[in-house]
Amino acid sequence: MLLPTLAVAEFRGAGKVYRNAKPGAWALRDVNLKIEAGEVVGLLGPNRAGKTTLVKMLLTLCRPSAGEVFRFDRPVEVRRTLARVGYVHEAPAFPRDLTAEGLLRYYGALSLVSTTDLRRRVPALLERVGLADRPREPIGRFSKGMIQRLGLAQALLNEPDLLVLDEPTEGLDLSGRQLVREIVSEQRQRGATVLLVSHAHAEVDQLCDRVVVLVEGRVVYDGSLENLKQDPAAVEPLAPSHSASNLIPMPAFPSVSKLEQALGQLYGRPAE
Amino acid sequence: MSVTGALRTVLWLTRDTFRQSLESRVFWMMLGLSSLAILLCLSIRVEGGAALHRPDERPDFLPRTVRGKDREYAPRDGVEIPNGTLSVAFGAFRVPLDRDALDAVRFIQLVLAAGAADTAGLLLALVWTAGFLPAFLAPGAVTVLLAKPVPRPLLFFGKCVGVLTFVAFQALVFFVGTWAALGARTGVWDSAYLWGVPLLVLQFAVFFSVSALIAADRRRTVACLFGSLLFWLLCWGMNYGRHAVVAMPELNRDLPRPSPWLRGAVEAGYWILPKPADLSLILSRSIDSRRVFATADEFEVVQRLGQFHPALSVATSLLAACLLLGIAAHHFKRADY
Repeated sequence: MLLPTLAVAEFRGAGKVYRNAKPGAWALRDVNLKIEAGEVVGLLGPNRAGKTTLVKMLLTLCRPSAGEVFRFDRPVEVRRTLARVGYVHEAPAFPRDLTAEGLLRYYGALSLVSTTDLRRRVPALLERVGLADRPREPIGRFSKGMIQRLGLAQALLNEPDLLVLDEPTEGLDLSGRQLVREIVSEQRQRGATVLLVSHAHAEVDQLCDRVVVLVEGRVVYDGSLENLKQDPAAVEPLAPSHSASNLIPMPAFPSVSKLEQALGQLYGRPAE
Repeated sequence: MSVTGALRTVLWLTRDTFRQSLESRVFWMMLGLSSLAILLCLSIRVEGGAALHRPDERPDFLPRTVRGKDREYAPRDGVEIPNGTLSVAFGAFRVPLDRDALDAVRFIQLVLAAGAADTAGLLLALVWTAGFLPAFLAPGAVTVLLAKPVPRPLLFFGKCVGVLTFVAFQALVFFVGTWAALGARTGVWDSAYLWGVPLLVLQFAVFFSVSALIAADRRRTVACLFGSLLFWLLCWGMNYGRHAVVAMPELNRDLPRPSPWLRGAVEAGYWILPKPADLSLILSRSIDSRRVFATADEFEVVQRLGQFHPALSVATSLLAACLLLGIAAHHFKRADY
């Protein structure tokens, strides 16, 4: 008998309409997605495709308007599973007067990491992200790239089973991008699951073994990268499922031409 | 989440609030004002003016400034005339004592507690801390924290506890500092003055809870500031208005009695809302202000009629603050980021 694979993240007919949005303006619609343990998944899509909303729902930063979202096989409302998650924000706003070391101790405590573990992990992580020579320097003096590196370090404090990277290479130079690639590889080796959100295909190409493409709030592709790269225009839109979100009126499914356009933008092949 | 984990979280959030106060220089500004007040107290000296009455006695003396026959007959009738000097700013200003030393010190304590701390200090604390929660809840800052396993309400309460601890610390510095300075210089160690610390923190908590509620929804400093100040005015108005409605028939018998509807509405508003005027009155009374200042007629009548309940005023104000913070935390728990 086959044992069911542990779902690190699962979306069942999940949808989201923000409070101040126009009626029927779905940021995310009828998403059905399952990410299993040990996978490195790339989440691709143009701007305003719903990538960040999907991440926010997974991290309980926002609640789904329709459907259900699970983290480690439990509803996302169960916050203790967040102790197994590391999150890198695309533009973190860390307190400018805190030192790198101080920030990691503070965020580590909120991640429920013990003081003993923090004493060991903080210097090691600062070393790993190339900030070992500036542990007591205020973050206000850091460049954008250094802040992003610090963001990576704080996400790794709890040795996460799921690492969510939202545009992690934003503002990073070449060595910073290389660092992200190395960290994702390391996490893969230790068996962690990685969800990499990006609107650039380059890093997804190198790191991910599965790609999910979002367009206008819908998953339009979920599969191997190779298939997608060979002929993005040939990708058929996934049929919407019959889920709870179908009870709420939704706009039409994105047309094939729109999909072609979006995927063409991602892979440098503009639609004719 | 374990109790130890929750306490550790609150400690870190409190520490973060002190960091915020240092970064925004609010810590030093408040400490600077307290230092000025302590310095002022250190510069005060009372010469002569020994106590003319036992602590539980109403004073029975004649101010030194009174001239004429009263002054001549007073000693013969056993009424003493204070004969001391109050010097301020290390002797730069000298004022003849019209009261005995204890009352002179109580007068200064009353000015410091009711005038400086309870009014100007409270307003400044509200203004200067209004940005703490909105800055904490700014999208780029809070999203990373919200992705941590700490329950959202605990995160919110922890931050509020941090702000209240910060204000309590500043209030403690102000009250204990001025009390110790006055005690050291005058020999009057009247500990009733220290009731100012919890009463001031309670008053601040009431209005900060409104600021927190607005911050949870709007995340804008200006909205928090004006919201809490408007609420302060509303509560003062309702508190004073209720006492006026109760006292008016006693103070002016020609006026018609308020209708039962008006009286009921005013009573409901009074008991629902926090009571800043009552809290100020409790603070003044703890320093025995009746020896120094006359109380407003409305307050005197309300007390005489048994319509003033200090313990209930404190309890309902505290309850209102807790309720507002609870609503704010609930809102924060459900908000999308």
